[in-house]
Amino acid sequence: MSRADTVGIVGAGSFGSALAAVVASTGRRVILWSRDPDVVAAIERDRRSPRLPAALMPPSVSATTEARRVTTEARLIVLAVASTDVRERAREFGRLLDGNHLLVHAVGALASPGAERVTEVMTQETPVLRLGALAGPALPADLAAGQFSSMVVASRFDEVIAEARRLLNAPPVLRIYTSHDVIGVELAAALSGAYTIALGIADAGGIGPGPRAVLVTRGLAEASRLGAAAGGDAKTFSGLAGLGNLLGRSRATDGRAARDYAFGLAIAAGNLPPEADWPEGARAAIAGKRLAERYGVRMPLLRGLAGVLTGQIAVADAARLAADQVATEE
Amino acid sequence: MSMAGSNDRPVLEARGRLERFNEDRERILGEVERRVVGRRLAAAATGGDHSLEYVLNDVCFAEIRRLEAAGGKRNKKALDHWRDLAGHLRAMSEAEKRAELARLVGHYGKDIVGNFDPRVYRFASDLLPSALGFLFRPISGLRDGVAALRSLDERVSVEGDLDVARACAERGTLVVTPTHSSNMDSIVIGFALMRAGLPPCTYGAGKNLFTNPFISFFMRNLGAYRVDRRLRFELYKDVLKEYSTVLLEHGYHSLFFPGGTRCRSNIVEKSLKLGLLGTAITAFRNNVRAGNPQRRIYVVPATINYRLVLEAETLIDDYLAETGKSRYIITDDEFSRFGRIVEFIRKTLVHSGSVVIRFGRPIDIFGNEVTDTGDSLDRAGRPVDPQAYIRGADGEVSDDDQRDAEYTRLLGTKLVAAYPRETVLHGTHLVARVLYDRAATIAGTRDIYRLLRAPASQLVMPAAEVAAGVDVLLRRIAADPEYGHVHGEFAASPTATVVDNALAALASYHTRPVATRHGDQIAVGDLKLLYYYQNRTHHIPSGGRS
Repeated sequence: MSRADTVGIVGAGSFGSALAAVVASTGRRVILWSRDPDVVAAIERDRRSPRLPAALMPPSVSATTEARRVTTEARLIVLAVASTDVRERAREFGRLLDGNHLLVHAVGALASPGAERVTEVMTQETPVLRLGALAGPALPADLAAGQFSSMVVASRFDEVIAEARRLLNAPPVLRIYTSHDVIGVELAAALSGAYTIALGIADAGGIGPGPRAVLVTRGLAEASRLGAAAGGDAKTFSGLAGLGNLLGRSRATDGRAARDYAFGLAIAAGNLPPEADWPEGARAAIAGKRLAERYGVRMPLLRGLAGVLTGQIAVADAARLAADQVATEE
Repeated sequence: MSMAGSNDRPVLEARGRLERFNEDRERILGEVERRVVGRRLAAAATGGDHSLEYVLNDVCFAEIRRLEAAGGKRNKKALDHWRDLAGHLRAMSEAEKRAELARLVGHYGKDIVGNFDPRVYRFASDLLPSALGFLFRPISGLRDGVAALRSLDERVSVEGDLDVARACAERGTLVVTPTHSSNMDSIVIGFALMRAGLPPCTYGAGKNLFTNPFISFFMRNLGAYRVDRRLRFELYKDVLKEYSTVLLEHGYHSLFFPGGTRCRSNIVEKSLKLGLLGTAITAFRNNVRAGNPQRRIYVVPATINYRLVLEAETLIDDYLAETGKSRYIITDDEFSRFGRIVEFIRKTLVHSGSVVIRFGRPIDIFGNEVTDTGDSLDRAGRPVDPQAYIRGADGEVSDDDQRDAEYTRLLGTKLVAAYPRETVLHGTHLVARVLYDRAATIAGTRDIYRLLRAPASQLVMPAAEVAAGVDVLLRRIAADPEYGHVHGEFAASPTATVVDNALAALASYHTRPVATRHGDQIAVGDLKLLYYYQNRTHHIPSGGRS
């Protein structure tokens, strides 16, 4: 299969593994990169990723630790790594990429430690200009189970959108919607993680459906304000990357919960983990608060959550402090 | 002219390139016609809005509207022609429409195309200042004009990465992209390129600048082509862009003002019009497809920095009318009044370094930095092949207008970032900033409309505090390269002297003195102009004590 019809995926974590399995199930070739030789060996041997054993890897998935294989055998490359690894991976692959590649990330968070948007880091560390962001409530477990999932790919380049749709769309399991609002999609995806934590805390406290709905809608409203101030489109926050992510991750099913949501539940139980163990949503809350201060955007919910995470506000006081002081026109 | 390391080798090489123009002229025009007509016919085959009837009707409609608005007997014949054509369009056969399309494309091509006479260029290289002086004879006497311009060398300073720009000019084609403050810019930057050892550039100039036959003669022979901003229909824009594309493909160094028109506010340009700039990517794409990837195109950001701006009064009136929702009525333009040009030259260009042109380091058309020899580097400083950006998955050059428009937008963001860095601030700008800051602090607002209602007592400041404020600004500028550069006068003289010189300049030319000294106090005389000059420092945020 040609380079044009091959997808490179950098990162064989749970999402990277799930995406590889789904895309390859349509017959396309996937080069799946992991820095961990044991993960690569397990995939090649068992056709299952240790990070997501539920997903069966079709034969068209090739796992590798060789970055050069990814960049030479695929033109469209999906960066699916933790936010803490974004810069290092971008730098490593940047040495091998050229201006012909199309680079899309599925990080769903701001890059650590600088809290830049991931496309900003990719611009700094690689020669690629045709960039995009992939986000939405496609949870690895759902993808592995073949459940109906959707994501949005955002890029300023129609070519990136078209190629990502062509190569990643795998109906009925995965449908790819499109957007040109890269800033909005990246911020919506990152901030939805923060609000997922807030919902975890609230749910653990036994919040009623009405107040829960207020939490969701006001969270979206303030995130939209920040997105618009940063150059994004406010309505993006009501789409897959924002509201979709938030609803998709903010509940526990059969004892399983998304990491951000589980983190919220743990905080409510009085177990705030050390910062090194924080999930993406917690880092996004801190970074989002800083961003809001920079743009002068009022974000009472995010400010309250950041206060809880930094130990400045007790969980019990958070709801009161985080509420809008004045209700104005919605 | 203050300039280090002048080297006229690239000029000679590029001069040769532009000298070919008259030989190339018909071929270039023919190529433009062939491409535009071919593209339009191909589009027409898809029907709908692309049909020839629609395209021709669009031209007729725009021309009729323009001529009706202009009025006058001279336009009547043309108006009748367009009305007649519009009336016959439905009855015309496809062959007749094709012939009319070709005729129109040819007509607009010839209207746009420039000329280059090497004899005139050599003449102009040596005698432009005196020749321009001649222009002013009917108004002020030849002696005045020539005296003011004889030592233009000393009055126009050139700074920046000239060696890299020269190397890029030898290796490929330059697209020089200066900021735009005044109609004097075309002449000033043409002169600066000549004396900086950079090649002459062809450039698009507003058709209104060609109304004076003397200026028109020089501009055409210095490589200018005519851009008629009144013609806003797509076919004209298509011909104009194709002309620019073909020129770049043929290696003609070009100059665009990405700001579009003269900057009204004097704020260093932040919003660019990218239409012609986009032709650089199209030209490169065509060259690569034709097997000439080595024909690189480089973009050279440049700033033109005047101590005083000829048309400042009109421009700031226009700006305040725009932002103030018609609170001001636009009057006339100083460039249209030769007396004002002469006065401007006599009173402002007599000062050494009263115009500073600063060339930034060239970048490639994708916004990448380049090495000293013109090789592209990515943001991490690694070599990158620019061809890769325009090739598809199969390795072939691909046509994708949306992609190229996005590349041009990215290039625009690089230029917008470069302009403040390459700005050279004169004493007039810093003094105006300090005085404006003071007035704003007292009034509790920086809003110009509120400040215009401030009492005169709020518009006075002790001279010693102005000098101290300028010193604070100088330190802030020295500490942050993004704030730009300051004029060499600051290194040559104590701040107090620079302040006095700036005040003398600010009181010398404009209808009302911008600011004047009364004993140990400095009083603002024209707040709008003060705002205009301080706006050049707009990219330096308020803060610190100034």
